[in-house]
Amino acid sequence: MSDDVRPEPAPRPVGEVLGQSVPKPDAREKVTGRAVYTEDLCVPGMLHGALLGSPHPHARILSYDTSRARALPGVRAVLTAEDLPAHDIGPAIKDQPVLARGKVRYAGEPVAAVAAVDLPTARRALGLIDIQYEVLPAVFDAEEALRPDAPVLHAPRGPGHPNAASYIRLVEGTPDSVWARCHVVVEDVYETPAQQHIYLEPCSTLAEVDPDSGKITLHTSTQSGFRVQAVTAEALGVPMSRVRVLVPRVGGAFGGKVESTNQPITAALAMAAGAPVRLTFSRTDDMKMMRSRHGARIFMRTGATRDGRILARQVRIHFDTGAYADDGPFVANIGSYFARGPYRIPHVDVQCWCVYTNKLRAGAFRGFGNPQIHFASEVQVDRLAEALGMDPIELRLRNALETGEKWLGGAPVESGTLRACLERARDVSDWARRRERTPTAPGKQRGIGVAAVSHVSGLLGSSATVRLNEDGTVTVNTGAVDTGQGSDVALTQVAAGALGLSMEQLNFSRPDTDTSPYDWCSGGTRTTFTVGRVITQACEQVRVQLFAHASALLQRPVRRLELRPGGFVGVRDEPGTSVSFAAIAGRALYVEGGPIIASARYLYPAWQLDTNRTQVEGLPFMGNGFFVFAAQVAEVEVDELTGHVEVLEAWSVHDVGRVINPAATEGQVQGGFVQGLGYALTEELVWNEGQLVNPTMGDYKVPGVLDVPVALHAVLLEQPFGPGPFGAKGVGEVGLVGVAPAICNAIRHATGAQVRQLPATAERVLRALMERD
Amino acid sequence: MSETVSISLTINGAEHALTLSPERTLLDVLREDVRATGTRRGCDEGSCGACTVLVEGLPVLSCLSLAVTLPGRAITTIEGVRNGPELHPVQQALVRHGAVQCGFCMSGIVLAAKVLLEQNPSPSVDEVRQALGSNVCRCSGYTRVVEAIASVGGRP
Amino acid sequence: MRYAEPESVEAALLALNAHEDARCLAGGASLVAMMNAGRIAPGMLVSLHRIPELFTITEASDGIWLGAMCTHRTVAADTRLGGAMEVVRGAARQLAHPAIRNMATLGGSIGLADPRTELPVALVAASALAEVAGAHGRRAVPVESLFVDSHRTSLQRGEFVTRVFLPRGATGAVGHHLRFSRVAADYPTVSVSLVLDMEGDTCQQVRVVVGSCAPVPLHLDAADQRLIGTRLEAEDVAEAGGLLAQAAAPIDDVRGSAEYRRMLIPRLLGRALSQARERAHV
Ligand SMILES: Cc1cc2nc3c(=O)[nH]c(=O)nc-3n(C[C@H](O)[C@H](O)[C@H](O)COP(=O)(O)OP(=O)(O)OC[C@H]3O[C@@H](n4cnc5c(N)ncnc54)[C@H](O)[C@@H]3O)c2cc1C
Ligand code: FES
Ligand code: FES
Repeated sequence: MSDDVRPEPAPRPVGEVLGQSVPKPDAREKVTGRAVYTEDLCVPGMLHGALLGSPHPHARILSYDTSRARALPGVRAVLTAEDLPAHDIGPAIKDQPVLARGKVRYAGEPVAAVAAVDLPTARRALGLIDIQYEVLPAVFDAEEALRPDAPVLHAPRGPGHPNAASYIRLVEGTPDSVWARCHVVVEDVYETPAQQHIYLEPCSTLAEVDPDSGKITLHTSTQSGFRVQAVTAEALGVPMSRVRVLVPRVGGAFGGKVESTNQPITAALAMAAGAPVRLTFSRTDDMKMMRSRHGARIFMRTGATRDGRILARQVRIHFDTGAYADDGPFVANIGSYFARGPYRIPHVDVQCWCVYTNKLRAGAFRGFGNPQIHFASEVQVDRLAEALGMDPIELRLRNALETGEKWLGGAPVESGTLRACLERARDVSDWARRRERTPTAPGKQRGIGVAAVSHVSGLLGSSATVRLNEDGTVTVNTGAVDTGQGSDVALTQVAAGALGLSMEQLNFSRPDTDTSPYDWCSGGTRTTFTVGRVITQACEQVRVQLFAHASALLQRPVRRLELRPGGFVGVRDEPGTSVSFAAIAGRALYVEGGPIIASARYLYPAWQLDTNRTQVEGLPFMGNGFFVFAAQVAEVEVDELTGHVEVLEAWSVHDVGRVINPAATEGQVQGGFVQGLGYALTEELVWNEGQLVNPTMGDYKVPGVLDVPVALHAVLLEQPFGPGPFGAKGVGEVGLVGVAPAICNAIRHATGAQVRQLPATAERVLRALMERD
Repeated sequence: MSETVSISLTINGAEHALTLSPERTLLDVLREDVRATGTRRGCDEGSCGACTVLVEGLPVLSCLSLAVTLPGRAITTIEGVRNGPELHPVQQALVRHGAVQCGFCMSGIVLAAKVLLEQNPSPSVDEVRQALGSNVCRCSGYTRVVEAIASVGGRP
Repeated sequence: MRYAEPESVEAALLALNAHEDARCLAGGASLVAMMNAGRIAPGMLVSLHRIPELFTITEASDGIWLGAMCTHRTVAADTRLGGAMEVVRGAARQLAHPAIRNMATLGGSIGLADPRTELPVALVAASALAEVAGAHGRRAVPVESLFVDSHRTSLQRGEFVTRVFLPRGATGAVGHHLRFSRVAADYPTVSVSLVLDMEGDTCQQVRVVVGSCAPVPLHLDAADQRLIGTRLEAEDVAEAGGLLAQAAAPIDDVRGSAEYRRMLIPRLLGRALSQARERAHV
């Protein structure tokens, strides 16, 4: 249950702080190298942990022999599944052991762990562990995994194929009967890769166990101290009251550090060794053992009438979740839920499978199912425009959902600003002129493409406490983790705007599960939106308490009071009459009423899918949040000799509701865009017979500075609306979502080459060019 | 077992006497022995630039440098950039432009930019981009980072 | 692991012969990366960085001698490397990324003999000679003859490269290096190095070498011959490129399939030749 008092969100912020590019409080320590990440922590007696990965993608574990490793001088603990509680963990399905138990399901899966006095010793010990396997047949493709005779990864959980971690079907209207009424129908199969987060800081945990109480303290690089606390407790069979999580600086996350990483095993090592253990992955271990974005294969067919009304769409999605479900079923929810796109399509049939294969697990990653489905949908809409002889933006505008219209499943679009985003994108990119193909160097072709983007902000619960200090300053405590996106500064600005304080008058505490109020996680385009909301709610309660005291002190009725910048309550139309927060705090603490403090909580209400309208299987409700919109445009130059694509300039137009910190917001958009550019052009985990071929940053290439456009314009529209702070909407993930289709549409515009598989590597583009000819 | 070697390294102007086995990289030694943890490890193979330090004024990758080869050579790490309480102009610009996100790349970027500006006080945007060619930033998209560094030399 | 840092070539030879499993250490860029990844664990490293002669650059009438310990950065910055020699400078200027160019060396690039790299390709195109020091003194051999297989050179145990000679080549000849990579800071998917000498519109002399398409830099006399005497028309280029593509033995990897690499060879050859001709005209 959320707080039922829905405070009218402060209509206007007090003071000047909200909307300014206030520098981030942690920026100085980061540019000077003083910032402390988990791997920088060192405590007396600390051991170093390392994990042994499975050599096989699918095999039964026959026996372990760890005696030689244990005998190596300097080794303090060696663990296998036999030493751990037989619990499985997992956010959607409890299918993952902390160390492989009984069998291994992907190459690289941790099977044993060592703690030793130094890292070289720990690594040497791994080499001395002898594990006997019986190799099992394996499956590496999501569709193949659903065949009746496919190797099975997990014990069946119910009817349906045991390799289907989830299945969803959503049907609206009667698609089968309307295809004949469509004047144009296009269909294709689209493929998207397993992109990896490549947060620059590999996962790291330092675990300490108090010998008396048994309490485990974890310092770890995560997006959510609370998830880590819950998962570690569950995995090790200890109560949450005996697990404390602290979060040092986090070197990027992007969804990869939402769920547990190496925290449970590090804690287990520390318990076994009776000493603190720090475990930091090498880049290659991180790449082989953690998670990726879901690779997907999407069949999509869309039909429209001659005048450009999209009438029907059929979609079949296979998400490859790898060996463990992780957040896969949730990703599949979003993928299905967005399969109709932000369009008014009366007849829709969506089927979606989330499937186990013998590969690295796939989980949350910026965009969460949306980059995949947007690629298929937005590339297909362009093909439709082409078939109709219409301008791509025009076709999108004609079908864009407007405020008050219904999403697939019946949820209302409360602030339908896609039209505004598309129109602005058309203006700022000088679309009409650039659609006239610009001449360029010999062998090169230029083109421009667009994608319409929709996403949600919100997602699960948050809480905050706001407390007045004796001197009139204020302490804000949330569980939110700033993984670099700048939520600490933005949320402080929200509090500043709610109470009229300066940044110096606010103390924003860092997360500590012992003392912070709960926050689900910093991810999913939610922190500013959801945590910002609970801060404004709590601040509102504080304001009510302040006004009660001020009314007594100033001898004026509450209704005549107002907040004034700098920490004062004043009286409207009496410029000279005011009382400081400090004076109020003094009264509250020592005279009457007690300390001023408030807490607030929020959970975005789940939307029950409307079964009168939609035939629903496997997705009874969406707890997702508020719809947000964007439009992205990319201009590219394609080298027809090699197929190489260069993005020359790009525009990313976002309705952010209200801008809280322009620099931080633009930085999110630009950073998201460049991750999207990597997704579009180069990034892809590659397997050969279940073995990851490119688990290094030398082989898996993320964009460098020379691979991105000099001009990457973040354009922020402000259409404040909804439950976010001051009408702000989330933006964190959105910048990535439409980049790949915008780029592929631009490639098509430039050359006529149709790319259906991401990344659009030079090789794939060259082949598409040759198919065209 | 490896033999050990006793050496002295000049790090940010100070001498550090160390006894090491010769396969230890400068990155390991900085982080573990000297406890100067501002130099970050992102890949250990020369592909991310997070471990950048200056040797005799040039950016090199400490993950690929064996510490034993470096006695007598001036090593500058991120800890040696700041002179007193004032930030270096590059650092100021990065903070002011809101270019810093998770910050894990920043030590390397600051050092690479510092060298660029010493050699070329007013670099163009393209020269800034060339100079940052070794430094992966996964968060920022580079736009603000490049703008910030170019602004130090007076170019917009 | 043992470690030595001799101060002369002779002392280095002694050190290299003192241990079964001794290797020389140059910039360390690749060697240390391989050690970090646990792919090699040499018994002894002999660092070459305290041997002054390995850093010297000497100009002769017919070319330039570059010490084996010259970094790519040094080579890239040396404006004396014009004409045919420009091919090496061009490769050194573009390869990898700045920090690697500040560390990695000419000698290391040869000793590594990694088919993914391009500096060896440029050296072969430049008809470079390597001076090799060994138990029997020093000898100069064509760099081309050193590359025998992926990561294998014809250097005997205990031998190493002390310097490299880049011949000036014919007056009017231009050297050119073209790399094609997935992203800027990557090994090339394919590279083309060439030295071209035009007489008016006719190709007088050419030496084309292709990188990342075989265990060693791919140089084919027949391809050069197909171009010599022609006006480098599209057909000539396509046929010469076809010969090279046929002779290539590329691998499939994350940078591209073997088939794609084969397709790129004639295409990039054409581009490299026309870029070289443009350069010859300015
Ligand atoms: C991340 C990365 C990216 C790279 N990208 C490219 C690229 O795009 N293009 C490219 O061309 N190259 C590239 N390289 C390779 C680089 O140019 C060098 O070839 C390589 O680093 C070796 O040079 P080094 O001086 O570091 O040698 P080291 O790593 O010190 O040694 C390499 C090998 O050569 C031997 N050796 C060293 N010196 C000699 C000598 N004088 N005589 C005989 N043997 C010797 C060593 O024993 C060792 O076996 C890259 C390297 C790295 C690490
Ligand atoms: S850690 Fe040295 S380059 Fe990545
Ligand atoms: S700020 Fe995170 S990697 Fe650059």
